[in-house]
Amino acid sequence: MENLEALLHGFAIALSAQHLVLMVVGVLLGILVGVLPGLGAPNGVSLLLPLTFGMQPVSAIILLSSMYWGALFGGSVTSILFNIPGEPSSVATTFDGYPMAREGRPTTALATAFGSAAFGALVGVILITFLASWVAQVALAFGPAEYFAVYFLAFASFVGMGGAAPMKTVVALAIGFAIAAIGIDTVSGSVRLTMGVDELVKGVSFVVAVMGLFGIGELLIAVEEEIHARAVSSKIDWLEVFRAVARLPKHATALLRSAAIGCWMGITPGGPTAASFMSYGIAKRFSRRGQRFGSGEVEGIIAPETADHAAGTSALLPMLSLGIPGSATAAVMMGGLMIWGLNPGPMLFVDQKDFVWGLIASMYVGNIVAVALVLLTVPVFAALMRIPFVIIAPLIVIICAVGAYSVSNSYLDIVLMLGFGVVGYLFKKLSYPLAPLVLAIVIGDKAEDAFRQSMLMSKGSLEIFFDNRLVTSLVIVGIALLLLPLLLQVLRLLRGGAEARHEKVRVI
Amino acid sequence: MKITSGFLLSAAACALVGAMPVQAAWQPQKPIEFVATAGPGGGTDNLARAVQSIITKYKLTDQPVVVVNKGGGSGAEGYVYGKASAGDPYKVIFGTSNAWQQPLVSKVAFNYTDLTPVAAMAQDEFLLWVKQDAPYKTVGDYLKAATSGAFKMGGAQSKDTDEVLTRMIEKVGHIKLTYIPFKSGAEAAVQLAGGHIDSHVNNPSESVGQWRGGTQRPLCAFSPKRLPDGPKVTASEGWSDVPTCVEQGLAIPQYEQPRTVWLPGKVTSEQAAYYVDLMKKVQGTPEWKDYIEKTSQVNTFLTGEAFDAFIKQDLEHVKQVAAEQGWLVK
Amino acid sequence: MISRRVLELLTALLTGSFGLAVIISSLDNGIGWGEAGVDPGTFPFLTGVIILAGSLYNLARGWLAAGIAVSRADLRRIAGLFVPAAIFVGAVPLAGMYVASAGYIFGVLALAKHQSLARSLIIAVATPVALYIVFERMFQVSLPHGELAAALGY
Repeated sequence: MENLEALLHGFAIALSAQHLVLMVVGVLLGILVGVLPGLGAPNGVSLLLPLTFGMQPVSAIILLSSMYWGALFGGSVTSILFNIPGEPSSVATTFDGYPMAREGRPTTALATAFGSAAFGALVGVILITFLASWVAQVALAFGPAEYFAVYFLAFASFVGMGGAAPMKTVVALAIGFAIAAIGIDTVSGSVRLTMGVDELVKGVSFVVAVMGLFGIGELLIAVEEEIHARAVSSKIDWLEVFRAVARLPKHATALLRSAAIGCWMGITPGGPTAASFMSYGIAKRFSRRGQRFGSGEVEGIIAPETADHAAGTSALLPMLSLGIPGSATAAVMMGGLMIWGLNPGPMLFVDQKDFVWGLIASMYVGNIVAVALVLLTVPVFAALMRIPFVIIAPLIVIICAVGAYSVSNSYLDIVLMLGFGVVGYLFKKLSYPLAPLVLAIVIGDKAEDAFRQSMLMSKGSLEIFFDNRLVTSLVIVGIALLLLPLLLQVLRLLRGGAEARHEKVRVI
Repeated sequence: MKITSGFLLSAAACALVGAMPVQAAWQPQKPIEFVATAGPGGGTDNLARAVQSIITKYKLTDQPVVVVNKGGGSGAEGYVYGKASAGDPYKVIFGTSNAWQQPLVSKVAFNYTDLTPVAAMAQDEFLLWVKQDAPYKTVGDYLKAATSGAFKMGGAQSKDTDEVLTRMIEKVGHIKLTYIPFKSGAEAAVQLAGGHIDSHVNNPSESVGQWRGGTQRPLCAFSPKRLPDGPKVTASEGWSDVPTCVEQGLAIPQYEQPRTVWLPGKVTSEQAAYYVDLMKKVQGTPEWKDYIEKTSQVNTFLTGEAFDAFIKQDLEHVKQVAAEQGWLVK
Repeated sequence: MISRRVLELLTALLTGSFGLAVIISSLDNGIGWGEAGVDPGTFPFLTGVIILAGSLYNLARGWLAAGIAVSRADLRRIAGLFVPAAIFVGAVPLAGMYVASAGYIFGVLALAKHQSLARSLIIAVATPVALYIVFERMFQVSLPHGELAAALGY
């Protein structure tokens, strides 16, 4: 085991006192930027980057990646407590995390999320450790057609699972696609759908949309339903943190399945966001309690969190070995690598053994540090739920406004965010599903780019999607997932089962 | 020089300012915002951050410097922002040649004349790259193989520098290429390593890792002379071992991408002069040389009339290619 | 009081007009699919058509909806949250983020008599200060200072 030896050497580097201190600092800073919507890991990383130029590259990357772990964990906090996802990848966590917190179990929700996230990250790191070179090879097999097939798979596994009216789902999905298309189009370079607003050339940021749709929209629903009148009893309960984590092994199947989906989407170009949605969709379909998803189910938290972190972790590998950043943060780190004089690419593993294995070892240690710190903060965060609604409501509005603004220092984004808030309220009120809308905003333009790049390559022929075994099987699995709910519906009808389900299905 | 249009007059005025010695020195009184017209991690972003860290390290100004990314719309977001900040000397926009190229080919709400040019600080070279195990060893072989018409050329963005160069290669080499636009050069490099495209025209820094790793190799450099000698990249070769394209019989003697610095329009000449001077000071530091070397760029400093002349020459050239391809926006 | 029918129709009209705007806007980009790939307007055009068609369907379905969606009391509570929020957003370009958020919190807490004057004042001052420290100082993200600050020379 050549890798194992290298890893042990890496541990020797990562476990120095200086590096442990850097990890703690990085993780704490990361939690802070992760918790605050509008600030994300890219802010923190780009802020620290100039400070790291004087450091050893391995110390610098340990600091930056620890911050990345902290931010990944922190991002789930606001999703669960206030229904405001700070990062695209924590949207799916709101579906069950927020209802559970509202029920008065914020501690359980947070601890479950952190525990499963740590598990996902661990699986991701193990994958990187032992299969680094294989993973790099797999990633190379993905051209535009395969990219498109992966996005298609993510859509297929998610769409058609909600309890919404089909036509409302279709409209929500299409609106998401249209929003994703606003701005400059990569493939043609032309400006699309700005409708006379020059500033829209930059496109509509996902953060602006979710701050409004989820944050403000939920606030309006909450005030209407007088949720605030019902007090959320959340005693500070340290034991519950451990109990929630100890209950996780009971959901081993969900954990393993979600970690596998996460790793797969992290290596292939799908990324953490698509991974968390897909994992949630598949969990809903295969879980015995799938019908209750959306009302505060434990597995509804486990699935997206595990997949998100598994993907976020394994996505660092393509960055190191190929030089394609899997996320905005990875992109900033890559810029850092170059300024430190390291060139991401296949030779990094050969030339810079200390650096690479120091980093990989620090992923193990950094994640353990991160999960320990973050679990300690759970009761503190849970206590936020006890702030009276009248005080927290204007604070949420301000945080959403600041978050929307800081995406690209634009006032227009604050106004758009408020508009999305109204749309979020209307959609929620009338049972239009928000999840397909958000998924389409996040990966709609990527899917379109990949499709049109494929069409350039094939000179307009769809045959490119059946060109080789990889792309063909991806497409077929996608179609199967898309047709599965229809098929089940038909079967149910054939069996004459008009057994109407009286259970209220939450629309997500 | 005969100047006919109004905007050129104003541009020339700015150019004169750049050339003037610094007097009655204007000094910033507020924090300065560096606007990178690229996402985090891109070449332009790296430049802005490198300049920022040098300014901070040497305390070249008392005011804090903040880098803001406005890379939406292939950089248009940043330029539009610069246009909207007319008269504000606390916004410094970092870009490339797309400041004048983009308005030619897409309906963006700015033109480079809305901005005040400060300087061009570095030039990125372009090379023609092919997959490591491709059968062709020279540009001649490549061009011969490409006559099949089935070659795919990858690049960053559409109707931008990479595609302009692709169209020039087509014309000079008498071939037809299918251009596939990706989000970035790094993505194109990975696509080449995976064999999904046949070639790309990346900058050195975008593909150096891949070259070292033996997934792709450069055939020639679009530069008048060979690239400067430096440490070997692979076991046997360094940048100076790459022949120029002209040597190889592909008559494109020069094609470079300048990294450009701008102020919003309607700033005073003292304010522009201050930043010209600031950038000059930055360029004199050892950290700057380090940055240039590590990113394999060429050090230049064009300001005033020289910068202006460069823009005009490049603009003419791109306009010609764009007109031939039918890209010009009405 | 808003009936479910009115709300459904309103929403369908909203989505439908967005769909129409997308269709019209995408025509500028060109629609087509051939040897040279897919034109930039093609997919936006298709999504526009889908949005419009779906909205028409929802419009028809919405006509059948019955019952009350938002009662008068509900509406008052929603307005009580949304109107101050909208005023806050409207005030940002003038007063800047810090002044606007202080005023907003103070207005909601003290003027609506939800909290004591002293407590409202403390929260109203603490919020912008915290924002300033975290954003402007720690992470160097500059929040809008507004016309007011510009006039005062900041």
